Amino acid sequence: MRAIRIVLGLVGAATIGGGGLLLLSTQRPDQLLGFVLWLIGAILVHDGILAPIVLGVGLLLRRAGRRIPWAILGMVQAALIVGAVLTLVVAPEIYAQSRSPGNPTVLVGDYAARLVGLWAVLGVLVTVAAAGYLLRRRRRRPEGAPA
Amino acid sequence: MRRLLLDLRRAVASPARNPRKAVVIGRLLGSAFVLCFLTGLVSHYLQHPEPWMAWTPRPEWGYQLNQGVHVTTGLLCIPLLLAKLWVVYPDLFRLPLIGGLGSVLERGSIAIFVGSTLVQLAIGVLNTYQFLPLPFYFLQVHFALSFVILGSLALHIAVKLPIISRYWRRPADGDEGALEVPEQVPEPAIAAPPGRGVTGRAMAFIDATPAPPAKVSRRGLLAGVGLSAAALLMLTVGQTLTPLDPLNLFAPRKKGTGPQGLLVNRTSAQAGVADAATDAAWALTVTNGERTIALTRAQLLALPQIDAALPIACVEGWSQTATWRGVRLRELVGLVDADPGAELEIRSLERKGAYKTTRMAAEYVRDDETMVALAVNGEPLHLEHGYPARILAPGRPGVLQTKWLDTIEVRA
Repeated sequence: MRAIRIVLGLVGAATIGGGGLLLLSTQRPDQLLGFVLWLIGAILVHDGILAPIVLGVGLLLRRAGRRIPWAILGMVQAALIVGAVLTLVVAPEIYAQSRSPGNPTVLVGDYAARLVGLWAVLGVLVTVAAAGYLLRRRRRRPEGAPA
Repeated sequence: MRRLLLDLRRAVASPARNPRKAVVIGRLLGSAFVLCFLTGLVSHYLQHPEPWMAWTPRPEWGYQLNQGVHVTTGLLCIPLLLAKLWVVYPDLFRLPLIGGLGSVLERGSIAIFVGSTLVQLAIGVLNTYQFLPLPFYFLQVHFALSFVILGSLALHIAVKLPIISRYWRRPADGDEGALEVPEQVPEPAIAAPPGRGVTGRAMAFIDATPAPPAKVSRRGLLAGVGLSAAALLMLTVGQTLTPLDPLNLFAPRKKGTGPQGLLVNRTSAQAGVADAATDAAWALTVTNGERTIALTRAQLLALPQIDAALPIACVEGWSQTATWRGVRLRELVGLVDADPGAELEIRSLERKGAYKTTRMAAEYVRDDETMVALAVNGEPLHLEHGYPARILAPGRPGVLQTKWLDTIEVRA
């Protein structure tokens, strides 16, 4: 394992170096600076904005665990993840569309309305699934038993 | 500082944030990176071949498949990457924050890995929107970053190999491990008086929050990743995979859009060719050394015509098949006695642009269906599709299907 690790590590480091040289040789200094700013910005946006938001929403969900069954919270969480990932991809698309691209065959959809529709569908799916879960659970337990 | 880091680690602790999950998500993400890298290389070298490289025009859907896979796996990397970062997020607050050269190197290499991947995915997606407000060149940076990322992946695997091999299979005892906890640190360290200061209050809130059953937390993670990846795939891949076209809600391209029901990559306005292309004096110049002929559109139409159903497959991941009609290229250059093994230099009327001039290797020139197209789907070519004449060859990237032809030169 030691030999594999050393070889893999060296090959990896060399490949990173090669990629770095490619960057240095194809970009002007001001472009390199712009690139480094994007690199740092990307990490800051993830670690400093996205991750804490996810953490906060996760805490609120857990907090609700006192009153709401965990299974239902799991469904809500899954729906939130699907909606958030699609929103992350589609939001820049909506913005790009608002800048009226020069090509009338690109970004032709009504993405904003569809995104709202997606969230609505997710809401309906979660509601139906949660209702089904509660009904099944009530049938399984005798009347008056603690939930 | 130490106290804050410990608090942060405690705040983000979760049963699903464990080495086994890091390995499960990590190998999916790693595979996606490799697939994306390889398809990216194919696309790059199809467009910028080295002299020793040889490509084949068949299967004619080869590039369509390659780019469909490239763009789709790139998109799927987004939920996978976010999940991977979520799982290892507590490691960001590891103690000591920075200690010694080894730790600086490790944190530095991870920062480069994560930063490069985030930028790579972001600019890749923006490019499919044809929206690039970047302070650098997209193409070269996207290409260079792919090597930085693949190298970082190899280095990362080298560093983490013991953990990867330990948690590759589901541990028999069900113990999925815990993210590294610094030694000599009792958790929680010193009990802080509750409710004092912002941190104190936040930690009190977090400590009072019930923890979900480990099973729910772990399954929830995998379900969230799986469902969001599936949704992303199903709702966008229709831009290249025809059976899923009805589900294509979010892809930047929709099959059937544009003049003659066909998508356009670069418009005549963007290329600045409208005047030259509609000039009544237009003629296609075909040259082989001393021999030169000029053919008007009427003369081209008078030559024997062939029909072929071929896809336009764009580097951005969309594709659309149409029925093209025109003059077989091999026969056209035969009029100037071109050698069957010769390659061509094809020039467009465009004044500028990276693809104004393209080279076509002999394999493509020889193919029976490679043509100078004059009509599509039964109608004369629309200006946006390359009127008066364009190149169409099987298996080539869309940007090399030169529109608004000016000259074709046989190279010795």
